[in-house]
Amino acid sequence: MVNETSDKLFSQFSSVDGGRSGLLNKTKGDKFIWGIVVLLAMISLLVVYSATGSLAYKMYKGNTEVYLFKQLSFIILGILVIYFLHRVNYTLYSRVAMILFAISVPLLIYTLFFGARINEGSRWIKLPVINMTIQTSDLAKLALFMYLSRQLSKKQEQIKDFKKGFIPLIVPIAITCVLIMPANLSNALLTGATSLLLLFIGRVSVKHILLVIGVALIPILFIVTVAVTTYKGPQHETTANTHQATAEKIHGFGRFGTWVRRVQDFIYAKDEEVPYQVQQANIAIANGGVLFGLGPGNSRQRNYLPQAYNDFIYSVIIEEYGLAGGAFIVFVYLIFLFRCIRIFRRCPYAFGAFLALGLSFTMVIQAIANMAVNVHLVPVTGVTLPLVSMGGSSFLFTCASVGIILSVARNVEQMEGKKEEQTPAVTAQAA
Amino acid sequence: MEVKRDILWRVYLCYMVVAVVCVLIIGKAFYIQQVQGRYWRSMSDSLHQHIEEIDAERGTIYSEDGQMLSTSIPQFDIYIDFAADGLRDKSGKRFRENVDSLSICLSALFKDHTEAEYRKLLKDGYREKDRYFLLKRKISFREYEQLRAFPLVRLGKNKSGFIAEVRNIRLNPYQMLAFRTIGLDRDSFKVGLEMTYDSILSGIKGKRLVRYIGGGVSVPVDDELQVESENGKDIITTLDVHIQDIAENALMKTMVQSESANGTCIVMETKTGKIRAIANLGRRTDGSYWEDYNYALRATEPGSTIKLATLLSVLSDGGTTINDPVEVGMAGNTFVGVRNIVDAEPHPKAVLSVKECFAHSSNIGMGKIAFKEFASRPDRFRTYLHKFRLDTLTGIDLLGEEKPRLPKMSRNNEGLHAMVTMSFGYAIQVTPLQTLTLYNAIANNGVMMKPYLVSSVVNDGAVVKQFEPTVLQENFVKPAVIKDAQECMRAVVTEGTAMALFKGSPYTVAGKTGTANVADGKFGYDDGVYQASFVGYFPADNPQYTCIVVIKTKPHAIVHFGGALAGPVFREISDRLYAMYVKQSAPVQMAIISKPDSNYYSYTGMRKEMKALFNTLQISSADSGAGNSDWAKVYRRQDKPTVADFTVGNKQMPQLEGMGLKDALYACENMGLKVTVKGRGKVAGQSIMAGQPVAKGQIVNLQLN
Repeated sequence: MVNETSDKLFSQFSSVDGGRSGLLNKTKGDKFIWGIVVLLAMISLLVVYSATGSLAYKMYKGNTEVYLFKQLSFIILGILVIYFLHRVNYTLYSRVAMILFAISVPLLIYTLFFGARINEGSRWIKLPVINMTIQTSDLAKLALFMYLSRQLSKKQEQIKDFKKGFIPLIVPIAITCVLIMPANLSNALLTGATSLLLLFIGRVSVKHILLVIGVALIPILFIVTVAVTTYKGPQHETTANTHQATAEKIHGFGRFGTWVRRVQDFIYAKDEEVPYQVQQANIAIANGGVLFGLGPGNSRQRNYLPQAYNDFIYSVIIEEYGLAGGAFIVFVYLIFLFRCIRIFRRCPYAFGAFLALGLSFTMVIQAIANMAVNVHLVPVTGVTLPLVSMGGSSFLFTCASVGIILSVARNVEQMEGKKEEQTPAVTAQAA
Repeated sequence: MEVKRDILWRVYLCYMVVAVVCVLIIGKAFYIQQVQGRYWRSMSDSLHQHIEEIDAERGTIYSEDGQMLSTSIPQFDIYIDFAADGLRDKSGKRFRENVDSLSICLSALFKDHTEAEYRKLLKDGYREKDRYFLLKRKISFREYEQLRAFPLVRLGKNKSGFIAEVRNIRLNPYQMLAFRTIGLDRDSFKVGLEMTYDSILSGIKGKRLVRYIGGGVSVPVDDELQVESENGKDIITTLDVHIQDIAENALMKTMVQSESANGTCIVMETKTGKIRAIANLGRRTDGSYWEDYNYALRATEPGSTIKLATLLSVLSDGGTTINDPVEVGMAGNTFVGVRNIVDAEPHPKAVLSVKECFAHSSNIGMGKIAFKEFASRPDRFRTYLHKFRLDTLTGIDLLGEEKPRLPKMSRNNEGLHAMVTMSFGYAIQVTPLQTLTLYNAIANNGVMMKPYLVSSVVNDGAVVKQFEPTVLQENFVKPAVIKDAQECMRAVVTEGTAMALFKGSPYTVAGKTGTANVADGKFGYDDGVYQASFVGYFPADNPQYTCIVVIKTKPHAIVHFGGALAGPVFREISDRLYAMYVKQSAPVQMAIISKPDSNYYSYTGMRKEMKALFNTLQISSADSGAGNSDWAKVYRRQDKPTVADFTVGNKQMPQLEGMGLKDALYACENMGLKVTVKGRGKVAGQSIMAGQPVAKGQIVNLQLN
């Protein structure tokens, strides 16, 4: 079923290619990436519509179309964002990256103290005019990765040098991660890891990277240690009141308690006592067969699975479209990454190349993190499935990254077009 | 390009890592599906599915003429969840904005609290964040409909926090009428027809497998897994609301007057054994009366009404005729065989015939007759009682009938003593219903009918099961004996204890009074508690109804004789039944006017419609009346239709002639009449003449031309 849809979409897409109308003519960049964006958006429309059923009941007396149109408008808005960003010459983003990063740091600080609390962590701020809540970390991440791309391209010559190469790179990473951490540890870790991956790709000395990992491991090990020592097995419930007290004290200490509890849940979970959402996600996955799931719109677990339209949308996809559907989603993300690597290979300019790499890896790693949570490979964290989860600021920021990637692709295409016009001997060199 | 190649292998390495993680994810999903799949799926079922019972609608109990006696209606309890998100949103903006107007509406609807009290009530609940605040219990569907349109409430459950819990309750539209016999259907307590026919009324509960979806709602999983509920069937009783009303009111009047402890009254259709009315009144501590217990089914010492059994026995035995003389003496106190017998009232003469003994209800007389007949074999009396079915249940279709208690009557002194005592109604305990059944058998010329209360079981308007009258036994007494017994019972009314009672009655009655000094519960024989009864049938020459009235007095009541206490109740019932049913049971010849009405403009109907009709047809018409009544009548005057005033009262039968069926039905049914119709066109004849007083429920036959 999914394959049929995709086939249709691709064919649609090629017809777009054939068309020569003004707007479509201006739509440039990698056709595969465009196709993937549209495909994922269509899937998201289907799944979000299905998964918001019970939410619609709660909020809008069963008027499920509310969420369908909400999502549709997000998709349209997102595609507009992509279109406009890809029309911009990507070199402009070098400066934008600096400005964005400069904005993101105070924004993060503001959020940390005054942000809206949704699910305990203060991660959100409300934009005054358009009355939309945005997760500042999404903005900060985009800013950070753009900024990293810029720095990596600039420092390529002294990249192995600790002071001149490493420090200017690691400092913005550290600032962002530390500011995200109190509200959203898992997101901070994910951002950190992705950044390190980019540093590795950007030829930063492996020694330095290992050093960072070593330092970062200290708080993580600390949490795990606390989790292990304060954990009281189900059989010891009556004993050790002091242990309970310490555990409660720790749990009472802001987000720290949540982290400890989640690690405990993950380490000590027996089959019958896995956390509720994992249980429900597993039931959803089990409900879908290998080839065929329950069929579009037939999810049962959407009614019990918290955030079925958001963090746990992948489980619903497997439930409705089977394991094949789930594998197809994975495949689509891998194709996306592969196409972005192709842009990188063909892009002669370092900043554009790093932009394409950095942003695509970020997006795919986030997707993988989400899917890994869904199949319970890693503890529960709140990350969305890019382009598929129900819209919101993260959807738009993802669209922004795609727009930037396509902007690079468009420039590469243009350049190659020019190259073909000119003599093939003239080869542009990376700066 | 060196740099780029260095980067490229790193990129591919990372891509590989990503791809491997992807494979792991798919692998883990596969593992969850295939290896643990069954575990998760079964968990899903146990978590989200359950078997739900589908309630069956309980059937309705109807009177024979189709009135609802007991039916199920929904009732609502209203709660408020003051912690509802929608209500507390924006620090309670919605609540604050609506609380005043809601209080006004609530106060206007329920009228039990003032606006201010309601406002305080709501505000207190809101402050305490009560999640299950009881606002009002047991409100009707109509009130609930109104409530739903109120401010705040109309915003729905999520925003207002209003919760309505519905349940079905039984409603008796006629309230006290036959309340105990119709019965109760409460979880822990069932009586009456509700209990007797519970299995038919309740229907069969269905079952279905449901799956919870969001918001506490559940949906059926699969239609095939559903066992449909079967709604309860309706039962149609033999009770007649109007006869019941008459009986209940007549009994109530006397009960209130005499402040008696309890009383019962049963009206039975002589030919069929149908119970047309059954009233039971018991005095409550506050002095009011209520249908609290089915006294009709309770076995007590019957007193003199049992003398019919004694009479039948001695006559059947053949040694006695009704004209045999019996020496009763004038003392009112004589030793008969084994015991001393006292008569409450002095005898008119020292020697009475058997018939006179019965008519004047002489204990001494009856004792002597019985002693003479059965002194040597008291057990023989018992066989007669057995023949008359006074030792078994009547078999009425109402649970709770008490078994009669008879003393042993062996051939010894003790047995003899019991026999003599029994001959005038003591030492034996029978229910009023049993006494009635025996009297009815004599009224019905020796055919004993089984009393019954339910004539048919109906499902969706179609009769499922019809209960026909059942003959318990025939020819259990020789016809000659029946004749004699009927004569004796007539004598009670014409010359005996009930003579004064039926003076001037337009119809004939046969019956028997009874007065028993009873010992029951905390009262002994010395406490002066009496059971006064009257049982009889009417009209005596063609019995239609047999009726028994039994009233138990308060201690030391001044009026306690059957003729004086129970008799008037009987008289009132028989008077009214005779007027309403018996008199008209003979087919009434209707005066049919068969002149062609089109020439005469003979028509009666609504004035407004009539005028409109004349205007439309452009017929000039004259108006002779003041024109202020709704109804009008047209007649011909000088070849012109003339409209005259016409009044339809609600106490007297109107002249229906010339009306269309629609108008005639409207006029009749507004007065509570029941209409049967023959023919087509306009009304030409009516079975109740114009100007006659009518009662609710009376039947009127209309002939259309």
